[in-house]
Amino acid sequence: MRLELRDLAFGYPEHPVGRDVNLTVEPGEVLCLLGPNGCGKTTLFKTMLGLLRAQGGEVLLDGQPLNQFTRAEVAQRIAYVPQAQTSPFPYIALDLVLMGRVAHRGVFAGPTQEDRELAMAALDELGIGDLAHRDVTRLSGGQRQLVIIARAVAQAAPLMVMDEPTASLDFGNQVVVLSDVKRLAARGVGVVLSTHQPDQAFAVADRVCLMRDGRIVAMGPPVETLTSERLEDVYGVAVSIERTRSGQIVCAPRYG
Amino acid sequence: MKADRTIWILPLLVLLTLVAAAVGLQTGAYPLTLEGAWHSLGQLWSGGVPQTAEERVLLDIRGPRVLAGLLVGSALAGAGVVYQGLFRNPLVSPDVLGVSAGAGLGAVIGIFLSLPALMIQVLAFAIGLATVALVYLIAVAVRGRDPTLVLVLGGVVVGALAGAGISLLKILADPYDQLPAITFWLLGSLASIRGTELWNVLPAVLLGLLPMVLLRWRINVLSLGDEEAKALGVEAGRLRAIIIAAATLMTASVVAIAGVIGWVGLVIPHIARMLVGPNFERLLPAAMLIGASYLVLVDTLARSMAQIEVPLGILTAVVGAPFFLWLLWRGRHGWSS
Amino acid sequence: MRMDRRQVMFGAGAAALLLPQSAIGSQAFTDSGGRKVMLPDRVQRIFASGGPAAVVVYVMRPDAMIGWPRAIRAEEAPYLLPQVRDLPELGMLSGRGDTANVEVVLQTRPDLIVDFGSVRPTYISLADAVQNRTGIPYVLIDGRFEATASSLRTLGKILGVPERGEALARYTEDLFGRLDKTLAGIPENERPRVYLARGPNGLETGLTGSINTEILERAGGRNVADAGGQRRGIVQISPEQILVWNPDIIVTWDRNFHARIQAGADPVWASVKAVEEGRVYLAPTAPFGWIDRPPSVNRLIGLAWLANIFHGNRFPFDFRQETRKFYKLFYHVELAEAELDTLLQWADGRPPRAPSPR
Repeated sequence: MRLELRDLAFGYPEHPVGRDVNLTVEPGEVLCLLGPNGCGKTTLFKTMLGLLRAQGGEVLLDGQPLNQFTRAEVAQRIAYVPQAQTSPFPYIALDLVLMGRVAHRGVFAGPTQEDRELAMAALDELGIGDLAHRDVTRLSGGQRQLVIIARAVAQAAPLMVMDEPTASLDFGNQVVVLSDVKRLAARGVGVVLSTHQPDQAFAVADRVCLMRDGRIVAMGPPVETLTSERLEDVYGVAVSIERTRSGQIVCAPRYG
Repeated sequence: MKADRTIWILPLLVLLTLVAAAVGLQTGAYPLTLEGAWHSLGQLWSGGVPQTAEERVLLDIRGPRVLAGLLVGSALAGAGVVYQGLFRNPLVSPDVLGVSAGAGLGAVIGIFLSLPALMIQVLAFAIGLATVALVYLIAVAVRGRDPTLVLVLGGVVVGALAGAGISLLKILADPYDQLPAITFWLLGSLASIRGTELWNVLPAVLLGLLPMVLLRWRINVLSLGDEEAKALGVEAGRLRAIIIAAATLMTASVVAIAGVIGWVGLVIPHIARMLVGPNFERLLPAAMLIGASYLVLVDTLARSMAQIEVPLGILTAVVGAPFFLWLLWRGRHGWSS
Repeated sequence: MRMDRRQVMFGAGAAALLLPQSAIGSQAFTDSGGRKVMLPDRVQRIFASGGPAAVVVYVMRPDAMIGWPRAIRAEEAPYLLPQVRDLPELGMLSGRGDTANVEVVLQTRPDLIVDFGSVRPTYISLADAVQNRTGIPYVLIDGRFEATASSLRTLGKILGVPERGEALARYTEDLFGRLDKTLAGIPENERPRVYLARGPNGLETGLTGSINTEILERAGGRNVADAGGQRRGIVQISPEQILVWNPDIIVTWDRNFHARIQAGADPVWASVKAVEEGRVYLAPTAPFGWIDRPPSVNRLIGLAWLANIFHGNRFPFDFRQETRKFYKLFYHVELAEAELDTLLQWADGRPPRAPSPR
């Protein structure tokens, strides 16, 4: 399942946010979107998922324009992990994750036994199987985010779009999520995620897309794309890209 | 674990409803003996026509009245649950889109024109539906960023207009003749409901109930908000339209025969949610059963407290409002149980 | 000093020109609310402040009427004098739903405002308020059924038609007298138990002592809706209660309800004694209601009619003769045979078509 954005212009009816976006996501690939606040990452994601109408250009799934699919068909192909919000209703985690399966069933159907098993498996995969029967409004922000990710995993779509999935997570859970991203990619899922940490891009991304003011300023493998000049240019802070003794690339900002 | 607990809650609620119905059948101004009651039920079973006054009381008066209480209570509670999920707001009642105000306007027009009782009900039903249709059309035309907000605001506006219409007609009405009838209708009552009215209204209620039952899983998803629901593969806009139509159909039908009975659609869903959680699959039947028992018991009280009837709307408010305050106090940490 | 006649007349004429019209006349009058009101000498234009007052003003001085609280319906018109049929609708100053604008009252330039009904403090202060704001004398007259004769006499005097007031009062006293004589011979338990059915479902009624049902009790019936005098007013009851009460007679003026009962469409009502024995009576409402609507002197003909229904030959009532007499004496109209027939059929359960909206 190949996702392609061709000359995409996106934004809201009253104000456009970005244009000239060309990128592809292949199965099994992790694409990281990096950019300062307000550069249009979330808007781009919503357009990718068909939640916002494109203002120009197209979104193609396996070569077919997005608007030719029904919502259920899109949901079977792309899963969305939004930023977790507070829900007014106290669903239990398992029920929330189960909702990820709705695209695979008929309009009048309820969840099947297979759906329940997949939901539990997704919770276990993210290490929160013990939260299955807990009320989500009583969980911490981080735990809720993991539940949302589990829902996307249960959705079993070949593509996954994640909007700052580690934003509300503690250090340990960040590692859990990023490891899971790598696992998903290894299983053949194409993942697009946005992040503020260049380190995460270095850690998991096959390709990185650097954005500013709604345009792509650079795209390619992280090592080539995320140079200290480019990061300084986009974020306005001085950084140095270094390789650690264990072989990982990290981005060290210069404080002060 | 909560999942286990809810398994026996639903059968318990069914039992509660049966008990409430039994209490309703046994209570009333007319003295009934136990054998008389059994004999009457036997008559009903064998399809005979009521002969004695006792049988008539049971089969023509109390029976339909208890059934009406079950029907109206369950319909209002069911519609309330759906609306609260739809608007993601536990403070919403089925009247939010103006169906009660519109039905009230229809009935008041009927009383003002001195139409027979059946026409009054038909007008109430029709204008109740039309009011919500108007609100929906307004929402579609305005097409704001937040569809639910536009719906609610549209409901407030159109509901206010209907209310103004009612007030106007109250002033123009004959104060010795029509005005008391208007006042009593607006306060709600099951007193004049007979078997025929129940049969007339039952198909509409069932027709409204059917989509809610069939689409129970998707209604859960819809309560996550439009964006998430769409991303999960649910046609949020279309589903919302169907659900609003279904809930409105249920509400308009029962308001047409029973008048405006408030607080049931607001408070009962809360109680049900406290017992079985927000999952619509369990929440809908739980709310409907609790609503049915509640209204039957309150109505029984209304007609046996004194020789005259206490209007239902007053009693449900007297019972419901303090309870709602208590809920608010309990829920100050959030809406979870 | 002796003034010559011309000087006196000149002086009087000058005085007459200087004073405003309505202040001429120093006739002080204490109304039923204990209020001292200065009445004008000549009353040419009267504003009736509510339904009951309108009836009584029409009865006394139709020539001085300037409007109705509620416009006259088409089916009521033939039973009224032609000159009042098209008078404008001015709204009500008192009673339930006061809709009259004080400015409207001023605009119509009445000489006097008449209110007929309750003399409780609320209405006394209303009278004072309107009188102070408009400067127009406002009289409040007791509208209780019991006080009808004396109220008619009083009205006759202040409206400048004392003989008329006297004649109507005597009719009333005669009627009440005959009724009391009949009732003296009927013990409590022989008086029929009566239910007044209001509203489209007939489940609305008035409790004993309320103004809406006092005619039932005055006619010698026993109102089944008896709360021991603790409460009054209009209430709703359940159908079961009707069966418990099982009245001997049902009275109503709602045509839809009556039609439904007559058609036997309702099994619950069908088992009530009154319905089984065919004793459900429909009261005419043209030009005014015979038993209520509004609660004023229009009820006198209804009183006689009901007394005959309740007590049969013990209170004889020749429908045609009595109705013709009453409508001539009170409403100033000579009923044609066709109109009498209509009323007779109406009271017999065959009313004209249901009322059309205004």
